Amino acid sequence: MAQTAPKPEKAAAKVIPIKESSLYEAQKKIYARSVTGVFATWRWALVWITQAIYYGLCWLEWNGRQAVLFDLAERKFYVFGLVFWPQDVFYLAVLLILSALALFLFTAVAGRLFCGYACPQTVYTEIFMWVEKLIEGDRAARMKFDAAPMSTRKFVRKTAKHAAWVVIAMWTGFTFVGYFTPIKTLASSVMSWQLGPWEAFWIFFYGFATWGNAGFMREQVCKYMCPYARFQGVMFDPDTLTVTYDAQRGEPRGARSKKADYKAAGKGDCVDCGICVQVCPTGIDIRDGLQYECIGCSACIDACDQVMDKMDYPRGLIRYSTEHALAERWGRRQILAHILRPRTLLYGAILSAVVIAAAVGLTLRQPLKVDVIRDRATLAREVEGGLVENVYRLQIMNLAEEPRRFALAVTGMKGLQIDTDPIVEVPAAATQAVSVRVRAEADAGKRGSNRIYFEIHALNHDEVFVREKASFLLP
Amino acid sequence: MQKLIWILWPSFVVAGIAEAVFFTLIDPQELYLFGEPANLSRIATYSLGFFAFWAVCAASSTFTCFIQRSAREINRCPLPHRERPRDCPKADEE
Repeated sequence: MAQTAPKPEKAAAKVIPIKESSLYEAQKKIYARSVTGVFATWRWALVWITQAIYYGLCWLEWNGRQAVLFDLAERKFYVFGLVFWPQDVFYLAVLLILSALALFLFTAVAGRLFCGYACPQTVYTEIFMWVEKLIEGDRAARMKFDAAPMSTRKFVRKTAKHAAWVVIAMWTGFTFVGYFTPIKTLASSVMSWQLGPWEAFWIFFYGFATWGNAGFMREQVCKYMCPYARFQGVMFDPDTLTVTYDAQRGEPRGARSKKADYKAAGKGDCVDCGICVQVCPTGIDIRDGLQYECIGCSACIDACDQVMDKMDYPRGLIRYSTEHALAERWGRRQILAHILRPRTLLYGAILSAVVIAAAVGLTLRQPLKVDVIRDRATLAREVEGGLVENVYRLQIMNLAEEPRRFALAVTGMKGLQIDTDPIVEVPAAATQAVSVRVRAEADAGKRGSNRIYFEIHALNHDEVFVREKASFLLP
Repeated sequence: MQKLIWILWPSFVVAGIAEAVFFTLIDPQELYLFGEPANLSRIATYSLGFFAFWAVCAASSTFTCFIQRSAREINRCPLPHRERPRDCPKADEE
């Protein structure tokens, strides 16, 4: 903020205007020109894939319930055949580690692939810009349109654009909430105008955020709000593929006639048409080199290739390349060969190891969890026949999506027995709390605390078995 | 406006993380409000919890913004009012 501050003694002698520079600045609106080409097609393919998943997945059924539902009210996350409970937070941590490692790997290989193709910010901006182009026209038309005074035509078009944006945004907000509360119930309560206050609030909140981020904030989110944009640089190395302008080939840039022998005139391949800047969604000039604002969308590559085609110059004045490749004038094969290097191999190895460990963990996961809590009211009491009784509360969590009967047993001390019903029935994906009285002879162990074990197994499912520690008190 | 975004945006992100961690570990139904069980639905508790986290984090961001002002921003301008350049940020101050 205060980097340009003059020294105090200087300020007294000569007035230097104080300029505030800031991280977030109101700046010129960017009118990105629409672009077609290989990378634009890839981006649209990813828009379709990610949005088909996002808008569609929440409507899928599985076992008579929503296939993917993060049911906050019931504190259970359903992902197809799996049901996660709060006790499974470990898997959430694993998922976060996986995402981070995948991001490291992709960034090391080819820079901001996520930002350029799959980030929701990019995807929704792409959709919103498509609507904008449909209603207001492409770059030049929009600039003219915005500069023109308000008229009926302008008002109608602006209203139409915002109406379309709001519809998309609200549907996005509705879908978002539909992942946290059953979407079919949500849909019927929307239809019957009986939406709960919080559901309504979050639909509007997320819808408003989509409308604001994709309609207005756009590149500012990437430039000023996204933490990834700030630290992605540390994952780059000289072999990372990034969107690169080949300055050696392009410079000195300049306009020329197509027929002229520009090489004899000492000019490079860049015709300085400025289209690479016009298509850039963050408004930068890639010819100035790699910049943190570049989200790696490759719009400038597509645009420049079209210009090169028109000029009959070879494509790839702007292309995916690496620092090393540019310096050493490597070809495609050498660049690809350098994708496999210690850094990427290490990321890849750790990533695979975590994926395998998580898969094994999920496969071996017992669909049963038991918490044993000693009854706090009574420690130990003597009952008839010289026996000592301890009372426990068992929380039996049946993770399977079918009701199951569980047999309880206790081991660890001579003559331990359960005085209550040793068979407990637990409904599908539910918790059952049971009070269990355990008895032992007064001389079965030492005075004070004795280690015992509760053994619970599912009837008809021998592999479902849990052993939990507890302590048995003798007076 | 930009100060407002400085305050609200980072606190929003941190509040989201805090919310996820807190409510993963603690079931809202087990919370007590002034010694009474909080009679709120889980969704309501999550929502209110998020805004509470956001408010706390925003308070911290506000305090950061407040104390990170440089001496130059806090001190009065040494020049008399009429001698200040036109684009001086303190042009309007006495």
